[in-house]
Amino acid sequence: MRRAESTPLNMVTAVLVTCAVAATSLTLTYEVTRDRILAQERAAEERALRTVLPAGDEFELVPDVLEDAREAAGDTTVDAVYRVRGADGALIGWGVRSAPRGYAGPIQLVVGLDRGGKVSGVSIIAMRETPGLGTKIATEEGWIDQFAGWDGSDITAAAREFDAIAGATKSSVAVREGVVAAGRVYADVLAAETGEVDES
Amino acid sequence: MREWVAVYKRGLALDNPLTVLMIGLCAVLAVSTKVEGAFFMGLAVIFVLGMSSVIVSSIRHLVPEKVRIPVFIVIIASFVTIVDLTMKAFLPDVYDFLGVWIPLIVVNCMILGRAEAFSYHKPVRLAIADGLGMGTGFTIVIVGLAFIRELFGSGEIVFLGARLLSLPAGYPAPGILVLFPGAFIVFGFIVALTGWYNRRTAGRTVETSAHCTIEEGGR
Repeated sequence: MRRAESTPLNMVTAVLVTCAVAATSLTLTYEVTRDRILAQERAAEERALRTVLPAGDEFELVPDVLEDAREAAGDTTVDAVYRVRGADGALIGWGVRSAPRGYAGPIQLVVGLDRGGKVSGVSIIAMRETPGLGTKIATEEGWIDQFAGWDGSDITAAAREFDAIAGATKSSVAVREGVVAAGRVYADVLAAETGEVDES
Repeated sequence: MREWVAVYKRGLALDNPLTVLMIGLCAVLAVSTKVEGAFFMGLAVIFVLGMSSVIVSSIRHLVPEKVRIPVFIVIIASFVTIVDLTMKAFLPDVYDFLGVWIPLIVVNCMILGRAEAFSYHKPVRLAIADGLGMGTGFTIVIVGLAFIRELFGSGEIVFLGARLLSLPAGYPAPGILVLFPGAFIVFGFIVALTGWYNRRTAGRTVETSAHCTIEEGGR
């Protein structure tokens, strides 16, 4: 059998058919795996929340503040806000999930804030930074702990003192932006919410 | 059948993609710090290489030469995405470890290279042999490399949470083995070993090895 000639019609047909078949099979795979992937992501998110607020027991999504939170965060994407309660049901803090732009796409992270708005910790859920360089933001011992204690009510001041990793400056700055966004969300939205929760 | 086996075996030793052809090395050096990650990387490559070889070979008469590269890339990228999604759904820990290296299989020159050099010109039967052989050759080398690096670099081998093997507690693990220089050093020895083996067996396999890539006499 001879190979199809490189006429325009043959070429267009070959590429179109290949792409159509590829798209169909990918859609099917996506459909099959979607629920499990979502479940895994939710589990990863909860693990991250437990890391940043170890005393937390119940993590409740607060969808109605999301719009205000997004406005407060400015350019940085905020994907979710969690109200975190301890085992006795008392409010112990907030979790803000943000996705600042790193070197290679968004860095998905969770910032924990205690009731008073102090950052209690930061945990990275997913990223696509350069292996060995950008990924140091997750692997460099103790680096991510520097954000703990930053004051959410005055985050711009706290963010002035900041230690970036050599070779991963852009990724480091992205994490800082994520924390700053969370601080802004606290100052503009969550501080008031904390008061409301106490009253009710 | 003999031809099939001969083609399959070429991927294991004489044309091993890693130690002889030396293609697709970046991922290998990066993920061979753990046997677990290396093993699943190997499986992913066997799957992608096997499937893309079959598809490329079976549609080789229908794909005009001028558009063959885009068509190959779409096919390879589809299988890689399937692996990516499946692994994300069922093996999240392994997926976290392999991270960006799974999507990067798309641009691994080994897979495109086999499509271009072999599958596009050979019948499906042989393309399967080539895909599986190259994939297995890749897996053997990457797992062997990871075995040495993990065992001697961190003192134990952990596979899917189970400790398979560990060295005595007092063993001073040389950390360099799990770092990049360690990958190059150990890989160098594996290359030397394969070269020695191939030269020793060259006399016996010379009839079946007439068609590509290495000339034993030239060394």
